[in-house]
Amino acid sequence: MTPDSIMKRKQPRFLRQPGPFNPVRIKTESSSYGRHIWLFLKPGETLFDAIVNPLTEFNVRAASMTILGGNFENLDYCVAPPDPEGRTVIAYSKPRHAGHSYMIFGNATLGTSIENTPLVHCHAAIRTKNGDVMGGHIVTEQAIVGSKPISVLVTSLEGFELRQAYDEETGISLLQPVEIDHHD
Amino acid sequence: MTDFKLVESGKMGRVAYARIAPNEDMVLGIEKLCLAQGFSNAFVRGALGSLVDAGLEASDGSVIEIKGPAVEIVSLAGEVRSDENGTPCASLSGVVADPEGKVYGGPFLLGLNPICVTFEVTLEEWLPDTNETPS
Repeated sequence: MTPDSIMKRKQPRFLRQPGPFNPVRIKTESSSYGRHIWLFLKPGETLFDAIVNPLTEFNVRAASMTILGGNFENLDYCVAPPDPEGRTVIAYSKPRHAGHSYMIFGNATLGTSIENTPLVHCHAAIRTKNGDVMGGHIVTEQAIVGSKPISVLVTSLEGFELRQAYDEETGISLLQPVEIDHHD
Repeated sequence: MTDFKLVESGKMGRVAYARIAPNEDMVLGIEKLCLAQGFSNAFVRGALGSLVDAGLEASDGSVIEIKGPAVEIVSLAGEVRSDENGTPCASLSGVVADPEGKVYGGPFLLGLNPICVTFEVTLEEWLPDTNETPS
């Protein structure tokens, strides 16, 4: 089957979300520049702490990150099958234990949670201790950086924030870009 | 002799972040984001999220269909260049994981990658030098 033929006969599958349709389909903010930081994840720390602590010192609260390859003492990850209770279209599975693993490549976003604390959302491809190559949502608080620092390219997002907010359409709290309120 | 540039010098410009909503096509969404932000050329600097199903192009031109939901986007790199009419055209390549965590990779096909819950993407604008590059 060629891409042309399948496009002609196959409609991509859409899912009906549980909440009201939001007519804003692309929510976006921009800034005139981005700061770039070469971050080294500290051995022995959780992935969450190894990202959040140094970036907080640099006053970075929102960022997009590329995690280059490296070993982790431990990695747990989740996949996202359909929600068995049907409240949302999908729900994260219980964490799967990958153990001592190699992260092949990862992307992460730093933002602010509903509780006003740092939030790191990370997806990655990993090679588990069994040699299986898998992918999914990384549990950053359970991921322990291995004995060597791991490089991360950080692009800071300046002039706006990424805030976790309840999304009525999907019924899930998601990161959304918002203008910084200068009236605090 | 080549009929295309081997080198294009320039610099990075603005940075845009977007959350794209469910059932929008990921590739088209990135192209529309460039329209929304006024970017002619851009690099994808970070992206993660989920797809209902994924469609990647195989080496023989056929479609690799990955059934979800959800198919997690675990890595994505790409570029957007505008054609002679100013239409942004995205070329995106990456790795996805199916609901069991099994991974697949390749170029994402236009129209076959509907977003499941959310798609977060950061674009960095590319500003080519206006002077001609040495041939």
